[in-house]
Amino acid sequence: MMMIDRRGMLALGAWAAATSKAFAQGPMPEHERVLYEAARREGEITWYSGQYSAEASEAAGRAFNERYPGVRCNVVRSTSQVAFQRLSQDLRAGVAQCDVLSSTNGGHYVQLKRQNRLMQFRPKNADGLLPALRVADPDNFYQSSFLGIYLLAHNTRLVSEADAPKSWKDILDSKWKDKLAVGHPGFSGAIGLWAMEMRRLYGWDYFKQLERNKPQIGRSSIDPVTTMNAGERGVGVAVPSASTLFSMSRGNPLKLIYPEEGVLAALSPSAIIRNAPHPNAAKLFMEFQTGVGLSTAIRLLFNESIRPDVAPPEGSRPLDQVKMLAPSIEDAEKGVPEVRDAWRETFGV
Amino acid sequence: MAAAPRAGFGARLRMLEPVTLLWLVLVAGLIFLVAAPLLKMLLISFEEQDTGDFTLMNYATAYGRQRYLDALRNSLLLGLLTAAISTIIAVPMAWAVSRTDMPGKGFTWAMVLAAFVMPPYLGAIGWILLAGPNSGWINQVWRAVTGAQDPLMNVYTFGGLAFVIALHSFPLVFIFVKSALDLISSEMEDAANIMGAGTWTTMRKVTLPLVWPSILGGFILIFLETIALFGTPAIIGIPARINVVTTQLWQFFEDPVRVEVAAAYSIPLLLITVALIGVQKLMLSRKGFVSQTGKGGERRQIKLGPWRWVLFAWCFGVALLAVLKPLLVLLQASFAKAWGRGFSLDNLTLRNYRMLLFEHDMALQSVWNTIWFSAASAGLALILALLVAYIVVRRLIRFADGLAFLAMAPFVIPGIVMAIGFYAAYAGPPLMLYGSALLIILAFTARFLPIAYANAQASIRAVHPEMEEAARILGSGRLQTIRRITAPLLKTSLLGGWLIVFIVASRELSAAIFLVGPRTRTMSVLLYDLSEQGNFELVSAFGGILLVITMVFVGIGMKLVGRDFMLRRD
Repeated sequence: MMMIDRRGMLALGAWAAATSKAFAQGPMPEHERVLYEAARREGEITWYSGQYSAEASEAAGRAFNERYPGVRCNVVRSTSQVAFQRLSQDLRAGVAQCDVLSSTNGGHYVQLKRQNRLMQFRPKNADGLLPALRVADPDNFYQSSFLGIYLLAHNTRLVSEADAPKSWKDILDSKWKDKLAVGHPGFSGAIGLWAMEMRRLYGWDYFKQLERNKPQIGRSSIDPVTTMNAGERGVGVAVPSASTLFSMSRGNPLKLIYPEEGVLAALSPSAIIRNAPHPNAAKLFMEFQTGVGLSTAIRLLFNESIRPDVAPPEGSRPLDQVKMLAPSIEDAEKGVPEVRDAWRETFGV
Repeated sequence: MAAAPRAGFGARLRMLEPVTLLWLVLVAGLIFLVAAPLLKMLLISFEEQDTGDFTLMNYATAYGRQRYLDALRNSLLLGLLTAAISTIIAVPMAWAVSRTDMPGKGFTWAMVLAAFVMPPYLGAIGWILLAGPNSGWINQVWRAVTGAQDPLMNVYTFGGLAFVIALHSFPLVFIFVKSALDLISSEMEDAANIMGAGTWTTMRKVTLPLVWPSILGGFILIFLETIALFGTPAIIGIPARINVVTTQLWQFFEDPVRVEVAAAYSIPLLLITVALIGVQKLMLSRKGFVSQTGKGGERRQIKLGPWRWVLFAWCFGVALLAVLKPLLVLLQASFAKAWGRGFSLDNLTLRNYRMLLFEHDMALQSVWNTIWFSAASAGLALILALLVAYIVVRRLIRFADGLAFLAMAPFVIPGIVMAIGFYAAYAGPPLMLYGSALLIILAFTARFLPIAYANAQASIRAVHPEMEEAARILGSGRLQTIRRITAPLLKTSLLGGWLIVFIVASRELSAAIFLVGPRTRTMSVLLYDLSEQGNFELVSAFGGILLVITMVFVGIGMKLVGRDFMLRRD
């Protein structure tokens, strides 16, 4: 394994800034140029985004705008379940507004594909993704655009490293009563996936026990990070590594915990909606997401790069040394609504 | 041959007063805005989702689970508790400002106004920063001073939720009760004094009973506002594990979108509202509350002696809790890197404002949306209200009262229910308005029509018809008279009405949340989206921008219309 010291990290940062600039100014490959020409006539693309944080989504939108002047990316960032709810409202009203949907809950795509709501498209850039992400759907209705790591974290001022929980199971101990914070599967797709995995490992009883510890429930999976920063709660449950690392870089006293059972890895795709009002811009955006552009922009905000030719973010453990729990998107289609409902019965909201 | 009937028709058309035509247009407009969405909602609550067949299943689904019934019960309790707290807060303040020689009346007045214009969800975020059980400023200070373990206040409780909502709704009771108190002449109190009652007994037995209708009116209004509120229950209620009707309605909009079930679930909200208005009528009908008579009574301030400082302390305490403290922590958070680190130089940053003003894709767009949606709906509502009020007040046609009823009806429709009605009626075919600015403007217009109507009616009543009659005698038509005589006379008070609608529309969340599209999000909706992530620094900065905009318009109103334009009640 390569050890990266501080100087190396700075160099890496400079390298990333340079690649980002190079990317914005570099020559466009032929397949992108053709799409770009067509997309310019459409002028914009609307992106329902639930995968990356508000900051990272905005950064991705800006990177797209810089790379493809004349095609404007409308970033509609919310939690994934809410993004899907908005899409469902669009579909129900029969009004096409969304071009590309990016949800952490992969189950959404299985459902949309079955309902014949998605457009078939294989971006050329997808060939350059990490091997595990290269083929999200053999029929090419959706493509990988996100690799999110969700784990435990603690506020080091409130909870010492020795005391901190080591596993998902540890947080059930009654000593964590009133000390935990977690997101909500009715809002966050990632929390839906996490709840599904915990149910698989320990049965629903896990959540009945968790309820006794009265975790503070936010909406987004990112919410507990703020709760920990504020000192409201000491341990964040199923928080994204990216937002936690980002918060640490701003001087907040947080530390990541890699649970013994494995971190939750959300390998989530994006898709073009069949009746997308800007189909060419949507295709161009899919090229952008699977290409160097997205990974370069979001890694600066500590998100995992999804391409081998863009370095992983600073401060996170290399993925090949991390044990991962990665639920399949087929299981998510049925599983997430189930755990969402069970959650509401158990927690009351 | 063919020309004759046409001439006849033309002659009849000429006979038709333009006002009759206008009446028809108004009826159509009000039906479109008010009656149709409600009717559509009622209809689909009995429809099967895909087939449209008649069914009662939506009602069975909507009330078939304990959790849904609990939400209904929670909403009712929350409404009652909030209304009670608001009344307790506001009645002494109103009495103090209206009847006594309490010092600092101008300050109290300004603070009530500030509590009124501050959007409730911003207050909610301020109170999370203040009264989070471990991290809130109040609790940190409390622990440091007393060494206690337990928090002094916990915002994430039922009482905390009601308290925070009450801090932003009490101005309604204040306005109602104060305007009623202003009308009572001191003679009645003097009579009681002569019979041997002291100041407190007089207040309890004479003054307050006389304004009982206003207290009740304010109580009911706050109850209704509270059960229809969405933002605060979503922001505080979810961590506090309290599910209410509005957050439950939101859940029915999850995939698969069950508008039908949501409609069925909304009906009790409507019924409760109608029932409450009925109860109010019943309770007030048996007694007389006449305090205004032909004889102009004298109105003197009651001298309270040292007690006036107790009352001032009460008003100051309310101002502290409702306005000063939340504003202070929001301001701190908006300039902070991490709000939990407190007031220190190395924690200061302009990053949050920079992000919103220069780097965020939607922030500026949403500011613009908010301004122009609110301006357009305020204009539309006021024009409609003015025309209806004119017809009603001048009794120009029969059935004018029907128009007035339609214009006032949205008063009793919770905003979120109205949004569901608009979604059901106009989002899809044939009009396909979903995601358009027009849909939101229309929904806002309908929602705030009663405010505009009450304003317009009072203004028109104040103009004696003789001036219009003079113009009519000199040969002016009805519409020309309105344009040249009536409208100029009403200019100032109408501007006041426009500004009030503008300000309440600019912070509206519940009517917008189901209707916005990607490019039509308002500041309130974007704030709600941003708050999901719990990034309070960014949310506070955005709230700061919203408040600055509101203050500019309030300032314009005060300058042009008079200091008390927001809180006047005619």
